[in-house]
Amino acid sequence: MRRIIVRLGCRAVVPLALSFALLLPLAASPASDDVVVVANPSVPVNDLSFAELRRIFLGERQFWSSNLRISLLLSAPAARDREVLLKTVYDMSEAQLRQHWIGKVFRAEVASAPQMFYSDEEILQAVAAIPGSIAAVNAARIPRGIKVVRIDGHLPGESSYRLR
Amino acid sequence: MRFARIVICSSLLSSPALVCAQSAASNDSAEMIRALLARVEQLEKRVAELEGRPGPSASAPPAPSEPVAAPVVAPPAPEVATVPAAAGPQIHGGHVGMPLGMPATHIAGFSDFDFGATDQRGAKSGFSEGQFVLHLNSALSSKVSFFGEISLTARRDAGTGTPPATGFNVEVERSIIRFEQNDYFKVSFGRYHTPINYWNMTFHHGQWLQTTANRPEMVQFGGSFLPIHFVGALVEGALPAGGVNLNYNFGVGNGRSSVISKSGDWGDVNNNRAWLATVFTRPNHPYGLQVGASVYRDLITPIDAIPVREWIQSAHIVWTKENPEIIAEFANVAHQQVGTGLQSNSQAWYVQTAYRLPWFEKLWKPYYRFEYIHIPGSDQLFRLVPSLAGSTVGVRYDISSFAALKFEYRNLRRPGEPRINGAFAQTSFTF
Repeated sequence: MRRIIVRLGCRAVVPLALSFALLLPLAASPASDDVVVVANPSVPVNDLSFAELRRIFLGERQFWSSNLRISLLLSAPAARDREVLLKTVYDMSEAQLRQHWIGKVFRAEVASAPQMFYSDEEILQAVAAIPGSIAAVNAARIPRGIKVVRIDGHLPGESSYRLR
Repeated sequence: MRFARIVICSSLLSSPALVCAQSAASNDSAEMIRALLARVEQLEKRVAELEGRPGPSASAPPAPSEPVAAPVVAPPAPEVATVPAAAGPQIHGGHVGMPLGMPATHIAGFSDFDFGATDQRGAKSGFSEGQFVLHLNSALSSKVSFFGEISLTARRDAGTGTPPATGFNVEVERSIIRFEQNDYFKVSFGRYHTPINYWNMTFHHGQWLQTTANRPEMVQFGGSFLPIHFVGALVEGALPAGGVNLNYNFGVGNGRSSVISKSGDWGDVNNNRAWLATVFTRPNHPYGLQVGASVYRDLITPIDAIPVREWIQSAHIVWTKENPEIIAEFANVAHQQVGTGLQSNSQAWYVQTAYRLPWFEKLWKPYYRFEYIHIPGSDQLFRLVPSLAGSTVGVRYDISSFAALKFEYRNLRRPGEPRINGAFAQTSFTF
């Protein structure tokens, strides 16, 4: 009787342990390392080319349409999504980015530099609330009321997605 | 066989056993995290109470979440409508907050302090205060904005004359009110830095923005070769043009005053408006390139000379990255005397290159510039503008993100004069 219980126990435990051992690494890794471009639902685009995204984040394109101005929101320095933007979109250092925006304001090309936020939650709340706003966040899940913008037709997690 | 089964079972079981051991150990950490989170929430509530706004629990948690791979627009969640206090004013490009019904004005500035020593006859070495520049901008609505730039420049003649000259000269450098319909069409009125020259359009009076300590001679403030300021109206915009990103400026204004280094601030000196047109491109590829060209047309009525028709053509090519940074500009100024038809062409150009060194935290940036101005003897209007050929070599060190030190050596040669050598140091900053 005891041998039967041990055998049944082994048969039940082995598959459980195997599946647990296989699932363990997946549970430990983050869902996605990609930076997500999010926008207010009023933004009339669902897909941007990478070049267009760069123009927006450089402040060279400032309007979605004649009635809707682009409000660019950025994370504070040292945030991961800002690092990804610096590396992939701006191709600049932090100091160069600061100089870029100071120059833009000084040349009267924009009224002010992008608003900075200190957490993903703050930036997502602002994107949800400000018409025409766009931002890049390092978030695996996006709240309702916020649009996720495809870049060159790709979404985060896809192999050709460039913001990572 | 039985032994093998035991080995397999024990090895497989050891993994969850280890995990259990780890999880047992991590239970303490989890509890600690929970306690810390509770403490953070408690403190946030306290901060919210002190700030007089609802606490985080009352504000919008981005709670109902959706997976990232859903590019559809979900209906706006009403609870997400609360914007953090910091997000209210200063929205980029948007309507800046208007406390008490007044437009909010942002003030920033640039300044520099210099030391110079040259072997030019009669010149004295020493320290000098550079321009103290304030710039103000204010969004008057989502489509209308104002921009102003004021400079205070130390006067050489301070305390002399009757009444005694003041220590500083105050000048409104730029004053622009702009209406923006969209990216393609913006119209403005005011006093500008004439947009026919890259340096003039890019660095203005911000010494900290430019790599070098000094401007090229062809665009020196107070110089005469190019009209530095322009009072009038400007239409500008940018067209994507299939990745070419074509920008344009078209302006009509008063042009040069009877003193050709000055603009017609109080009015035009003749009944003939100056006009200008500029196009430049910042293509998507290669990223960092800018190429442009301009034309400028005016009728100049000098105080003590025959009126002259002026026709300026200029071009620039710039690589805006820092590894390397390259700026090259050329301008041809054609003058034709009214009545006599006497014609002359004067040219100026410069090439500047710099490189941000990858070592020492990328704080050092050596640079070199060669510049050349040719004024023919037949150009009566430019008879006081000297021809020159000169080299500038130096290094910029960024003390902080907003301040820089520059050390520069200049070597200039003017026709019929001994070569001039000079050493300069500058600290420039923005605030």
